[in-house]
Amino acid sequence: MIKEYVRESLNELKTMYQAYNEAIIELARQNDKIVLLYADFPSDIAGEFFRKEYPSRIFDFGIAEANMITAAAGLAACGKIPFTHCHGIFAVGRAYNQIRQNVAFDMLNVKIVLCNSGMLWPFMGGSHQVIEDIAALRAIPNLMVMSPADAVETKRVVKAAVEHSGPVTLRLANPPTPIIYKDENYPFKVGKPTLLREGGDVTIFSTGMLVSESLLAANILSKEGIEAQVFDVHTIKPLDENTIIDAAKKTGAIVTVEDANIIGGLGGAVAEIVCENYPVPVKRVGVKDEFGQSGTVEELKQAYGLSAKHVAEAVKMVVKQKS
Amino acid sequence: MKMVMTHDKSLIKFLEEKAKVLRKHTLEMIRSSGIGWLGGSFSEAEIVTVLYFHQMKHDPRNPRWMERDRLIVSKAHCCEMVYAALGESGYFPKEEFLRYGKFGAILQAHTDRRTVPGVEYSGGSLGEGLSFAVGEALAAKIDGLDYKVYCIIGDGECDEGQVWEAVLSAAHFKLDNLIALVDHNKFQSTGEVSKKIRLEPLSEKWKAFGWHVMEVDGHNIEQLLDTLDEVGNVKGQPHAIICHTIKGKGVPSFEGKNLHFVKVTDEMYSEALKILGE
Repeated sequence: MIKEYVRESLNELKTMYQAYNEAIIELARQNDKIVLLYADFPSDIAGEFFRKEYPSRIFDFGIAEANMITAAAGLAACGKIPFTHCHGIFAVGRAYNQIRQNVAFDMLNVKIVLCNSGMLWPFMGGSHQVIEDIAALRAIPNLMVMSPADAVETKRVVKAAVEHSGPVTLRLANPPTPIIYKDENYPFKVGKPTLLREGGDVTIFSTGMLVSESLLAANILSKEGIEAQVFDVHTIKPLDENTIIDAAKKTGAIVTVEDANIIGGLGGAVAEIVCENYPVPVKRVGVKDEFGQSGTVEELKQAYGLSAKHVAEAVKMVVKQKS
Repeated sequence: MKMVMTHDKSLIKFLEEKAKVLRKHTLEMIRSSGIGWLGGSFSEAEIVTVLYFHQMKHDPRNPRWMERDRLIVSKAHCCEMVYAALGESGYFPKEEFLRYGKFGAILQAHTDRRTVPGVEYSGGSLGEGLSFAVGEALAAKIDGLDYKVYCIIGDGECDEGQVWEAVLSAAHFKLDNLIALVDHNKFQSTGEVSKKIRLEPLSEKWKAFGWHVMEVDGHNIEQLLDTLDEVGNVKGQPHAIICHTIKGKGVPSFEGKNLHFVKVTDEMYSEALKILGE
């Protein structure tokens, strides 16, 4: 039931930012319009590479996210493809108006990398765990909102961001994340959730680093006789309505899973489509409208209801509600 | 500041007359829309005139010409004066002036890059334009192009923290192709700048941040021309021109009043026409 491009084992880990860096180096070699902007953020191997090979195409703006993102819009207005880098919370929290007015309003070709996004960022505490970004950003017209599931998909998403002429946000998790895809040759289409596992009893729409938890949940459920189809929603916006409606029709129950506030996030996006087109029971797994705290990834997953066990529980509840 | 009187009197006369024409267009726009930013548009009249009708290389037939000089109007509410200059330059038919601010018009309230040929930057959220100009100036450096990026900033707008982020970064990146013109008209939306958040000493602030700073009478065409010429003599630093201006300048009964967001009454209209020409 697992699709052929999905790994059987989810034991190999890699950070999305590592994959992002590898991808941007490759893309920058082919496209001299790509420039990198940092707000006192670790530039990693891409920084090393650019400083050596393309020193005129990398800028550190210091701790000034708003200035960085508006300047990126100015660079884009002159034909560049700027990628900005900072913690997700500071792009969305410190530069929301700049994303809205300077980038999205004029459809400028800026790519905003939301590093270390979500509740599952160990140690750093509530001030740094952005949970509102999906809801906030998807309400901005013109903006493409992307959220890869693993390191392999991160590379696909970065390429898609370059190919798309317009503003994009890329949501990257902090911790090493289970690699889901065997390689980059899998069906990836911007705006269309990718089917990872087939099943007829319930649909799980998941995004970001909790996609792997959703697959683990599907395995738990299968042993209990519930077969879940699992989708990786790598693009929150645009979001293909037909995939959601077809899932509602096919399985009659939906669970959404995200490392973000359940208010207005992926859960909100899916529920909007389901309610308007084909109402079926929906249960949202995510952060329940509360700020986070320090802890390990595992502690945070358990405390905020973001583990495979929580997904499985939500599935069982929603399946019971099926008429 | 060193003043070199090199400019032809006929050029100065031409620009003075042009500023008057732009004020007239602005008056008609605000009269037609019912409301607008009369005071701040009139205070920037000479600055806008000198840039569009002498200083900047630009082509109304090819608004997105890659090597053009750019003007970012960060105090984007004072769009009427900018639209006047663009229409007068031939970017769009002057008939558009009378549709300003109306539903479906290209001339939107606040400069709008999406709809107005020649507008570089969609403003309206203050304090952001200089950062945008920093990005454009960086792009010129990357591409080895010699275009200049001008940015008109309001004085009240300098309350915004992002202005100073941009000021810091422009000096750090040594953007000598960037020229900020502060329309220092001493008023902001609801009162005097000095009584809101004190900016003085303003020039010293820009200097301390690493800029090449000059101060001029922002209504004196000759001083503006000389100052803009001086820019080319200083390398490795961005340039700030603090332009001392008067809100409502150009019509005696308007001058020194805030006239921030006002309608043009019949009395104001007839008074202005006497000065600006029927």
